[in-house]
Amino acid sequence: MTDSPARARGNNVFLALLDFFRQFGADFARGDIFVKLSLLVMGAGCFRRGQIIKGLLITLFQAVIIIFTISFALPYLADFSTLGTVTRAMVYNPDTMKNEVNDYDHSFKILLYSVVSLIVLFCALVVWLRNLRSARALEVTARQGKRVPSFIEEVKSYRNERFHITLLSLPCLGVVVFTVVPLIIMIAVAFTNYDQQHMPPGALFTWVGLANFKALFSNSITLSFGYAFFKVLRWTLIWAFAATFTCYIGGILLSIFINNAKTKCKQLWRTLFVISIAVPQFVTLLVVRNFFRNQGIVNTYMSQWGITAFLQKIGLVSESLTFIPFLTNPAWAMVMIILINIWIGVPYLMLIATGILMNIPKELYESARIDGASPFKTFIHVTMPYMLFVTAPYLVTSVVSNINNFNVIFLLTQDVYITTDQKLANANAKEIDLLVTWLYRLTQEYYNYKMASVIGIMVFVVCAVFTLLAFNIVLKRNKEDKFQL
Amino acid sequence: MKKRIPALLLALTLCFTLFGCASPSGSDAPSGSSPGTSPGGSSPSDSTPAEVKDVHLRVWGAEEDQVMLKSMLDAFADANKAQINFTYDLGVQGEGGTKDTVLVDIEAAADVYAFAHDQIGELYKAGALQEVLDNVADIKSRNVSSSVEAATVDGKLMAYPMTADNGYFMFYNSSYFTEDDVKSFDGMLAKAEAAGKKISMELTSGWYNYAFFKAGGLNASLNDDGVTNDCDWNGPGGTDVLQAMLDLAKHPAFVSLGSDEFKAGVIDGSVIAGVSGTWNAGAVAEAWGESYAASKLPTVAIAGEQKQLGSFSGYKLIGVNAFCQETGWAMRLADYLTNYDNSLRRFNERQQGPSNTLAAASDAVKSDPAQLAIATQMQFATPQIIGGNYWSPAQTLGEIIVQGNPSGTPLQTLLDNAVAGITAPVG
Amino acid sequence: MKKRNVTKALSLTTRHLFLAVLSFIWLIPIFWLVANSFSVYPGINIRAFIPEAWTLENYRLLLFNSADTVARFPMWFKNTLVIAVFSCAISSVFVLMVSYAMSRMRFRGRKLLMNIGVLLGLFPGFLSMIAVYFILKSLGLTNNHWGLVMVYSGSSGLGYLIAKGFFDTISETLSESARIEGATESQVFLKIIIPLSRPIIVYTVIASFLAPWMDFVFARIILNSGMAADWTVSIGLYNMLERELINTYFARFCAGGVLISIPISVLFVIMQKFYVEGITGGSVKG
Repeated sequence: MTDSPARARGNNVFLALLDFFRQFGADFARGDIFVKLSLLVMGAGCFRRGQIIKGLLITLFQAVIIIFTISFALPYLADFSTLGTVTRAMVYNPDTMKNEVNDYDHSFKILLYSVVSLIVLFCALVVWLRNLRSARALEVTARQGKRVPSFIEEVKSYRNERFHITLLSLPCLGVVVFTVVPLIIMIAVAFTNYDQQHMPPGALFTWVGLANFKALFSNSITLSFGYAFFKVLRWTLIWAFAATFTCYIGGILLSIFINNAKTKCKQLWRTLFVISIAVPQFVTLLVVRNFFRNQGIVNTYMSQWGITAFLQKIGLVSESLTFIPFLTNPAWAMVMIILINIWIGVPYLMLIATGILMNIPKELYESARIDGASPFKTFIHVTMPYMLFVTAPYLVTSVVSNINNFNVIFLLTQDVYITTDQKLANANAKEIDLLVTWLYRLTQEYYNYKMASVIGIMVFVVCAVFTLLAFNIVLKRNKEDKFQL
Repeated sequence: MKKRIPALLLALTLCFTLFGCASPSGSDAPSGSSPGTSPGGSSPSDSTPAEVKDVHLRVWGAEEDQVMLKSMLDAFADANKAQINFTYDLGVQGEGGTKDTVLVDIEAAADVYAFAHDQIGELYKAGALQEVLDNVADIKSRNVSSSVEAATVDGKLMAYPMTADNGYFMFYNSSYFTEDDVKSFDGMLAKAEAAGKKISMELTSGWYNYAFFKAGGLNASLNDDGVTNDCDWNGPGGTDVLQAMLDLAKHPAFVSLGSDEFKAGVIDGSVIAGVSGTWNAGAVAEAWGESYAASKLPTVAIAGEQKQLGSFSGYKLIGVNAFCQETGWAMRLADYLTNYDNSLRRFNERQQGPSNTLAAASDAVKSDPAQLAIATQMQFATPQIIGGNYWSPAQTLGEIIVQGNPSGTPLQTLLDNAVAGITAPVG
Repeated sequence: MKKRNVTKALSLTTRHLFLAVLSFIWLIPIFWLVANSFSVYPGINIRAFIPEAWTLENYRLLLFNSADTVARFPMWFKNTLVIAVFSCAISSVFVLMVSYAMSRMRFRGRKLLMNIGVLLGLFPGFLSMIAVYFILKSLGLTNNHWGLVMVYSGSSGLGYLIAKGFFDTISETLSESARIEGATESQVFLKIIIPLSRPIIVYTVIASFLAPWMDFVFARIILNSGMAADWTVSIGLYNMLERELINTYFARFCAGGVLISIPISVLFVIMQKFYVEGITGGSVKG
């Protein structure tokens, strides 16, 4: 957590790239014929210096890439600009009792395989360029009369000075396949018309430029994505901050309360609170949703005890209802969601805070006591600053994860909450939607992948802006003046 | 230098995996995603009928139908064992949500699946349905014409009609209401209020609240393009309908319950009448016993005049996946599942009203209160053929009504907004 | 003196009464879950909090009724267990490998890789859901538990931060002296660092073991055959609350919830200690 992303040094990457190409040019110019030849036959440099196995492997790699390019990458990349032109058609043949289908295009497959091909070809390009430089380096080693490392030695280096490569290659491959490639594809989808009217394999979709981003800022009754977006964004941010800070403060207070010397059976109390989070979240949330149904158990008791009638009298519940709309009225639902989230989040924070409180240097309290500070003052001037100092990175990441907190909102309101705002309804959004739950329902219920992708990109922008600001302001300051009383 | 090996590994692995598993450009045979698809039956035609080939199909049906479907599938295997060695996978998929699952990946969806007919437009557009090309004349003649119409898109029969009772009507407990009471909502509400009980109708659903606008002589229907809607709810008389609904929602004896909540209310005794459909008939009959009764929908007072509530009538259909590998046998199976015997069986075991005319004419069907109610309501019903943009705005309008229009928006504006959403262009 | 004692006792009682009320609020929904799981009423009982009559029937139906097409709890449990074991093994190894490399080794591109990692974490995971589905499909891994294992563990390398924080706190001297004695980097990793990292390994293993028990979003998309026997616990339980099923299955849902909570709570209590250390450890010391 000590490396802040704010220190991403874009300039350095660019300079390194420039530097690489300069040296590449120099290596090419100075290298002997085998070095130059290694651009054509990649193993050439290795063969010349006696690294036969390595040379064979690299040449084999080159052959595989060439076959891959011709038989796989090129056919897909050729269709990349249109994403396919041939729609599926079929004729039923009663004799075989099967359909005869034409050779149709599948836009999504074209997009997917094109992206994969581009990534593979890019990697191949990097290998190809680097290969020349290593061939040159090998030449220099040989010229200086030093021993050329044998294949076995090279392999062994992956257990030692190149051990990080051994460690990182599989995890990186996993991240590329399951995160990077899908992400690139979905970002690309934001620039297409992939929706229910253009869904492969039955239909084709194609590039539409920035049309979807324009739609996100539109605001008419029928095309109300702009209206919905800003409403949902506002609630997402309110939610993220409210959820983070209510749990944070609540958790600290609870943990201080339990850790107070006067409290007996500390471990028992802690365990009681922890039980509620040991049950899987999706179970508790679904239970709570049914607990607070309009025709649910809580409402039964509320009306029996006259609380529903009382709330109606003071105007918190509409006269026409016979129940408290815990999760169906916008204002009620928003408050309830935050309260339920406190219920879920406070035990976690209590655990964390307990851990940290035990670590507070005793001297700090000691000096506060000598100064005659009251318990409240000690809390404000000693406990909170220390907590904030230690948990600042956690707070930042926790706001981001609350922006993306799908479970709480989805499980509490799916199938239950109905919007009363026609403009939101026309954009398939709800008042209590977060950007991510809206995105999820757009894909799963309305197949509006193009707008979902646009919203996903917006979520990224929101999170990135927030993180950059937070890390720059909060963490930098923390780092500079360290923690002092 | 240092980065070479991970990059090399990455590239090698990527291309090996891709080589092994994907063939370039859409090949004509969509990769069989069902693990059990047997490649055995590749012989081109049944020139040698003695040869029994393997046919494997995946079937989706509703949860409550699983036991019955399983025995129907076994019977189908038995009936065709001379020609094929039939095996199947039977999965659970409620008819109401079929399209949601199918459209995520049509190629991975079942070969034969049941769905509610309002989804036919979207399934057809997505290319998920195989046109019926086998035994067409018989299928058209043996089913009621309205359900054949519901299974037809662009003049092509795209699915097999299964049931014709996917509509709604009024269940009531005859120990509280007389046959006269249930003629009007006002009469029923008065009785229920006196008894301290509730009458339910789900207003937060476009499917049900259509009934009121139809009663007021207003219209919502699908345009010829097959996607967008026509709707005149904001025309003259619209606000009267809305006012009638608001009055109803406010009535102390009225409650807007979802299907499952209605059932729960019936079972615990708090609900003594309600609008629902045949899927709840078994549970309601069991709860009320002797006093179980059903009738067409009542009349409702709109601008002081009693108007008969309309309704959507719906059908359940069986479709064959356009990406099925065994199209011919899948069609025969769908045909088999919707024939006379199985329609009758569906009624006997699951109280589902047949679309098959002969089965519908049987005494058992004719004497069933729920089937009788739905048949009477039929003359006030419109086949539910409407575009996807209808549901959200209509549902939201219903929610505003149930909450008593808390913001006090003028009724005309509420209707204008809803109609704008319902008739919004698609795409 | 006496008066003081009384006030003291009073404040002590209020303090504990307050805690009791608070923990009662925290436990009500859990009570309700347990009570419903023993209820004779199969749907949601809205008349009374405590069921009128108690029964073990829901547990019996859930565990031993193999004819039921909706509730296949034993199958789900087995499926989830298999998926959890494999994805936990892969993710734990990935996480430890990445965090070691990032924490103890210095190489070109390290900062860049870490920054890319942070950047990727800012995109919502659901965005790429449909693309992940099609990638798995082209590998022939949809409707397949291995596909789910890969989804859960494939990108796990990105979650290295907590373990890295832990490795950062292990002193450099041990590994330095080992290197002087001629140990290779891989020996330092396997023989020195790993044995010292028990807490973080326990944390990583349990955290990644628990993930498949909680997820219902990816599982629902990837296991889409409609065959209840193929599902994981979370999709199965989620499905029981579908509109058509909730009135028959709510009590069984609660029983299932109780059943999976037992092993999970045990693991959670074990992990709890390390969880706190993981979150705070790195930042307290660094």
